[in-house]
Amino acid sequence: MMYVAILTINELARRRFLLAALCATAVLVALTGWGFTHLMHMHDRHGGPLSVIEIRSMTAVLVVLIAYMFSFVLAVVAVFLAAPSLANDIESGVLLPIVTRPLSRAAILSGKALALAFVVCAYAAASGLAEFAVARAATGYLPPHPFTAIVYLCLLAVVMLVLAFALSTRLSALAGSIVAIVFFGGTWMAGIVGSLGTYYQNTAAINAGIVSQLLLPTDAMWREAVYYLEPAVSVAAFNARHVWPGPFFVLAPPPATMILWTIVWIAALFAVAAYSFTVRDL
Amino acid sequence: MDCANAIETRGLAKTFGETSAVADLSLSVARGEIFGFLGPNGAGKTTSVKMLTGLIRPSHGSGTLLGAPLGDRKTRRKLGYLPELFRYQEWLSGREVLRFHARMMGLRDAKREIERVLDLAALSERGGDRVGAYSKGMQQRLGLAVALLGEPDLVILDEPTSALDPIGRHEVRQILRSLKTHGTTVFLNSHLLTEVEQVCDRIAIVLRGRIVAQGTIAEIIGIQDVVRVRAQSDRALQPVLERFGTVSIDDGAFLVATAHARIPELVQTLVQTGARIFAVEPIEATLEDRFLEITGTPQP
Repeated sequence: MMYVAILTINELARRRFLLAALCATAVLVALTGWGFTHLMHMHDRHGGPLSVIEIRSMTAVLVVLIAYMFSFVLAVVAVFLAAPSLANDIESGVLLPIVTRPLSRAAILSGKALALAFVVCAYAAASGLAEFAVARAATGYLPPHPFTAIVYLCLLAVVMLVLAFALSTRLSALAGSIVAIVFFGGTWMAGIVGSLGTYYQNTAAINAGIVSQLLLPTDAMWREAVYYLEPAVSVAAFNARHVWPGPFFVLAPPPATMILWTIVWIAALFAVAAYSFTVRDL
Repeated sequence: MDCANAIETRGLAKTFGETSAVADLSLSVARGEIFGFLGPNGAGKTTSVKMLTGLIRPSHGSGTLLGAPLGDRKTRRKLGYLPELFRYQEWLSGREVLRFHARMMGLRDAKREIERVLDLAALSERGGDRVGAYSKGMQQRLGLAVALLGEPDLVILDEPTSALDPIGRHEVRQILRSLKTHGTTVFLNSHLLTEVEQVCDRIAIVLRGRIVAQGTIAEIIGIQDVVRVRAQSDRALQPVLERFGTVSIDDGAFLVATAHARIPELVQTLVQTGARIFAVEPIEATLEDRFLEITGTPQP
């Protein structure tokens, strides 16, 4: 299994994926850093400088929006790494001499998944920490629980990775990727429906949100991450005003059992993927 | 089933939806022999090979490979396989591809073994180059090196010379012969009848997913040979020749279907009749003739 994992990481390095991803992310982080520094020089409607509280409140909102963008990038990266990693190897025939070696197909899949999960999580940690560091350096603001938020973003990426692997055991890389991204978008929308349901006390909308989170826990992980990025004062302010916080803000994270469910979900879907790959004809 | 055999299958079948790719594959390949597997396109050869290597699950039937059930993971340590569709990691060098396979096999002294198979496949000088820069023939040579890594007991080669030039094909034949001398069993799936004829001990011909002929090449071609007798036009000779087998006339010569061993007796009889004989030449059927006949292909 480890040989396959090393080969997979080696492939990403040789094909310059790691270099391209790091360069693109560095540019993005630099651009947001430039934006944050300009925040310091903005004026209010009376021409006076923004207060520290205003700057930090605005930075807090921007950090959540940037985190959302990164969560989408992470999901897409996870899908576009996982789906071709298996489906293309099946289609091209590269896997044929490998699966006839004394190695189970589940071990081959585990090796690939382990390597890509490591790469995606490392990317999430590196890009997330760099972004938080830039925000802190430019504005002095740091989200309350940056490391916890990154852990949930990593879980989101791993969910998408496993989903893409499961789909690619039967579908082409392109078809598997499209289906995974559509599910991701659908779950995000269902999450918004669920939060509206909570706000307006609509049971059907609440249930739709819960069911979608159980079927694909990406939105639940996103909501967990957001909760740990929000300053407590903002949460208190929203709760006091009784307004719907919108898709980029949460008043309470999903229940703690959701984390357990997400881990069970990842393990169960990976088992399904391994079985599907093991019994399929090559 | 006889575990002494390298390959043993009974009624192996595979259907894809409504389509039957392999209907009834029952064959035995003894250890140490080179076995040729022939058939026209779409006959089910590659599907059969994939069932033997565990890449495809049979719909019916059963089989053993080196005494273990098909698909047994431990047995794969003793198996070498060159797929018909040979593709290797283009971003690795040939030597790195072999190193990866050596690791998966848990080979000891992998470095020496890698150099041995690279040398065998005539790739030593290009072993450090990226596979993406290899020609198709070189990629097939690499595939052969991968299949021969670790001196497997059984080597299954699916069209191993399809991308090779005549020199490469000759070299592969030499390799196959050397494998035989080392006691390795070779299962050779090939379209090239002359290649099969030159190296195989036994063959099977598969047609529409069923084995329609199996045996040594001599057995497949048939025990009856044809002898062409050119003599001064003398119809009286025909009854004499008919004592040895069926006689037909072609281009003024008698064609006598008779066993090769009876040719001296035939010549002696002709001499005794006092006939003026110009030539007695055995015409041996080729595997190609027999293959075309069995597969129902019209001969020119």
